[in-house]
Amino acid sequence: MALTENRPFPLGRMLLYAACAPILLLLVLPTLIIVPMALTKGQLIQFPPIWISIHSFTDYLADETWVSSTIVSFKISILAVVIGATAGSFAAIGLHKRDFPGRNIVAGLILAPIIIPGIVLALGDFLLLAPMHLIGSWTTIAILHALLVTPYVFISVQTSLTVGLSPTLIRSARSLGAGRLAVLRFVHWPAIRPGLLAGAVLGFAVSFDEVVLALFMQGSTTVTLPVRMFQAIEYDLTPKIMAAASLFIALALLGLTVQALTAKRARPA
Amino acid sequence: MTASSSGALPQPRRFLRLLNFRDSLWLLAPIATLYGIFALIPFALIVRFAFADGGTHFATVLESRILVRVATNTVVISLMTTVVALVLGYILAAGLWRAGPKMQRVMLAFVMLPFWTAVLIKNFAWAALLQDNGLANTILQGLGLTNGPVTLLHNRLAVIIGMVHYVLPYAVFPIYSAMQAIDRKVERAARSLGAGTPSVIWFVILPLTLPGVYSAALLVFVVSVGFFITPVILGSPADMMIANLVNYYVRELVDFNAGAALALMILGAVVPLIVLQQSMGRGGRHGAH
Repeated sequence: MALTENRPFPLGRMLLYAACAPILLLLVLPTLIIVPMALTKGQLIQFPPIWISIHSFTDYLADETWVSSTIVSFKISILAVVIGATAGSFAAIGLHKRDFPGRNIVAGLILAPIIIPGIVLALGDFLLLAPMHLIGSWTTIAILHALLVTPYVFISVQTSLTVGLSPTLIRSARSLGAGRLAVLRFVHWPAIRPGLLAGAVLGFAVSFDEVVLALFMQGSTTVTLPVRMFQAIEYDLTPKIMAAASLFIALALLGLTVQALTAKRARPA
Repeated sequence: MTASSSGALPQPRRFLRLLNFRDSLWLLAPIATLYGIFALIPFALIVRFAFADGGTHFATVLESRILVRVATNTVVISLMTTVVALVLGYILAAGLWRAGPKMQRVMLAFVMLPFWTAVLIKNFAWAALLQDNGLANTILQGLGLTNGPVTLLHNRLAVIIGMVHYVLPYAVFPIYSAMQAIDRKVERAARSLGAGTPSVIWFVILPLTLPGVYSAALLVFVVSVGFFITPVILGSPADMMIANLVNYYVRELVDFNAGAALALMILGAVVPLIVLQQSMGRGGRHGAH
């Protein structure tokens, strides 16, 4: 607190804030216009909208293909998070405080799926799965999305372990006779929980928003919500897009809130 | 060392360490299975498809006239995105760094909200803002800057706006963490020696934050190169980028070999940048989440 008061040159700080304000406004503006746009009376996608009607929402809910896409998207993201959270947190525990040659390479490889262009992963998996007739199944998309969830869970669980777990705790638990599973349950589990939650929430958002893998792996009954929206934006601009987009905004706000809450809880510890 | 001297575990230390390692090895089984089947094997398949029939598929890709155009698009658009994102990101990072705790929380929320919003939704919103009867044109005409609507959508400018909006958090966090690492005493020392704000920024803060800037630049550029949705929604066909070309080979021409060859070429260009970025240390990690 004291630092904020004795900073020299308040004029410089005012200029800095003045420069930040328009950037911040442009950052949030696109997110903020979605819901008002969805409430338009008209059939056109426009801002400012003609207020006020909920027809885009009722159209969306009445369209079986859009509803089934929404359900498929939720199923995929939930399964992807379960798989990714397991793989990511186990890997973070397994690599915690372990030094061996090539550790950085292993950690880098774990992050690779979220850094390399998605189209490369999509093509490779298409080459693998198409001959096996596994394209078009929602579990396929979920497993591939787990590749994107895993790195986020890995990073945040790793952070939790570094912040909240002292290695002496594991050693004393072992010396007191705790088995491997007991150590996992009573030492690691409480330590990783905040990171696991944060990583899983972010991973859910990443999976729910993903377009490229879902586009390559789509089948007649497995068109995820973002893929349906992407195709609707390209071919027929229906107000249903805005209703579906409002759902994404609601989920984003929910994710942001959970993240803020877990960050706050982690701080005093 | 302390563990073996406690006397509770009489085994030799090397054996213990081996046991420890095997202990934790099974924890890597889920990730190894997932990555092995759905990332490593697909990568091997890309290599096999690309190199099938000698190097002819690389020749197909390299000789197509569209490649040069698309590759140029990708590099130019990604570089412009990187430069704009770094400038804006630096200003935001400085604001975050200098803000009081309350103001900082508000600014962070403003930066994180778009980070949580799907790229598709953000691009769609930009399309609505930039279209002929959109808010941007309404404002331009309201200010009397133009008489009729200006075409702002389906061009390169729109693609760059959409991409900068997406990558800005990736630029902010590495720079911000470089700023946080600056020792305030250095700045005070410079001021006590008579340096004004501009020279403090230029000679003290900027050099000390350069590693963060480099890390952010690499991260933003790598992320930009892979863009697929934004050129389709906000660009014109002339703004096609490299990921769209892979998609075109695979899904329109159904030429998996050429698609695989192009994918390998992208990896060849991008992987060294990723390795460089990762080896630059902590800065980039912050941007990845």
